[in-house]
Amino acid sequence: MTLIKKHDATGDAPREFRHQSRDRAGLLCQLEADAPEQRRWAALDLAAFSDAADALCDRLEQETQTPVREAILTSLIQIGGNPVVCGLMPLLRSEDAALRNQVIEALQQLPEAVSPYIERMLADDDADYRIFAINVLANLRHPQAPAWLQDVIERDDNINACAAAVDGLAEIGTPEAIPALTALPERFADDPFMQFCTQTAIRRIQGHGA
Amino acid sequence: MNAPVPLAITEEEFQKFRDFFYRKTGIHFEENKRYFVDKRLIDRILATNNTSFRNYFVMLRFETSGKELQQLINIMTVNETYFFREEYQFTCLVNSVLNEIVTRKRPSEPIRIWSLPSSSGEEPYSLAIYLLEYWPRVDDYAIELIASDIDTTMLEKARQGRYDQRSVAHLPPPLLRKYFTALYDGSYQINDDLRQSVDFTQVNLSDLAQMRAYRDFDVVFCRNLLIYFDDTSRRIAAETLFNALNPGGFICLGHSESMSRITPLFKVRKFPEAIIYQKPR
Ligand SMILES: C[S@@+](CC[C@H](N)C(=O)[O-])C[C@H]1O[C@@H](n2cnc3c(N)ncnc32)[C@H](O)[C@@H]1O
Repeated sequence: MTLIKKHDATGDAPREFRHQSRDRAGLLCQLEADAPEQRRWAALDLAAFSDAADALCDRLEQETQTPVREAILTSLIQIGGNPVVCGLMPLLRSEDAALRNQVIEALQQLPEAVSPYIERMLADDDADYRIFAINVLANLRHPQAPAWLQDVIERDDNINACAAAVDGLAEIGTPEAIPALTALPERFADDPFMQFCTQTAIRRIQGHGA
Repeated sequence: MNAPVPLAITEEEFQKFRDFFYRKTGIHFEENKRYFVDKRLIDRILATNNTSFRNYFVMLRFETSGKELQQLINIMTVNETYFFREEYQFTCLVNSVLNEIVTRKRPSEPIRIWSLPSSSGEEPYSLAIYLLEYWPRVDDYAIELIASDIDTTMLEKARQGRYDQRSVAHLPPPLLRKYFTALYDGSYQINDDLRQSVDFTQVNLSDLAQMRAYRDFDVVFCRNLLIYFDDTSRRIAAETLFNALNPGGFICLGHSESMSRITPLFKVRKFPEAIIYQKPR
């Protein structure tokens, strides 16, 4: 029988990054280190410091390595609160689609902290930015999320923003949204696709209720 | 005689307790678990001679030994498990995964496998049996099997290795005869060789400081735990498991759990027997 029992379950190879100083100043310094693994460990440990949110958001913007980005976002979610949301929102304007998606997912995990900013995000001049805010809403555990999406389809002039909100309502909408959904295709009468989307959403909502 | 103390947990107390317990363990109780939680809380309040939730909760938060918290954890966790549960993953391990892992190993280098959470030990012992029975190269490599859980009662049970009929019901009878001794009370005692081959340790997957000591694993079985976590603690768990794995290491989740919904950190690998996740090399 070659299965062996070791008395140190934890592993042998030395890992210097796991044992470096873990005070705030040291970690902030390691967050800028050359080795991605070192940045990743620093990011994870910074979850213990709620005032590290700004530094983490700054790093996130430059960071190219997925594991480091994920670690930063995990820590930001743990820190939570308004400063984190304020640091993350501008990253929705990034050219980097993968980063935007990661930020959308992180914001979805901060429903209370993100809620005071939703209206401002939905009123932004940039339609793409509004669409990303709508994507956040489509999977946000917040009681007001369906009402915000309904606002979009009643007011937003951009067809893509409305289509994104219809998709969101198909997931989380309640029967109260049905009149607004029924009225929507008229606002975009040239576009037969909108008719199709809203009908699908209405059927989904009615299905939810069943 | 003890007069029964009429005790009830208010909504506010439930919320307080739930937040506290969540921060300690990552386990998230939905509103529909209220009855389950209240009943156990009241049991502990009475068992510690407290008269109200308030007193008990103060004690819980300020005790330095952590003993009462451990008691609570032991009764609040769901420990359901059995031998050869989701066996297709063990088949995948011996038919596909290990053969891939050994291509990167020097002959003297051990293969490290971690069962977390192990509960009462059925999963890590199943792994040991599976390796011995079905992996032809088992004699060519040193294999380290580590098994951990947050629940100290379960770990004690695992070290003892005595199981009831229900636990062993999925084991093929020849294997039951080979590795167990039937006892007079109808239970089964696992043999000493197997007991010696698994190292049981206590670990809280939600505790980054504790988890950072665990590393260099080639395969982690983390099955039927993440279902009790919320999105944020799942994410933290994914990070710490990533840290624990060697590059190219594998992670198996329970059939209703999915890493892709939690994080893009791992690659999805489709083997003939099972879909499992891999840390990029
Ligand atoms: C349903 S059992 C799963 C056992 C086995 N993996 C299986 O699939 O049959 C879940 C186990 O997770 C353990 N657990 C819960 N929270 C934990 C945590 N934060 N860290 C480690 N183990 C935990 C519980 O004590 C319990 O034994």
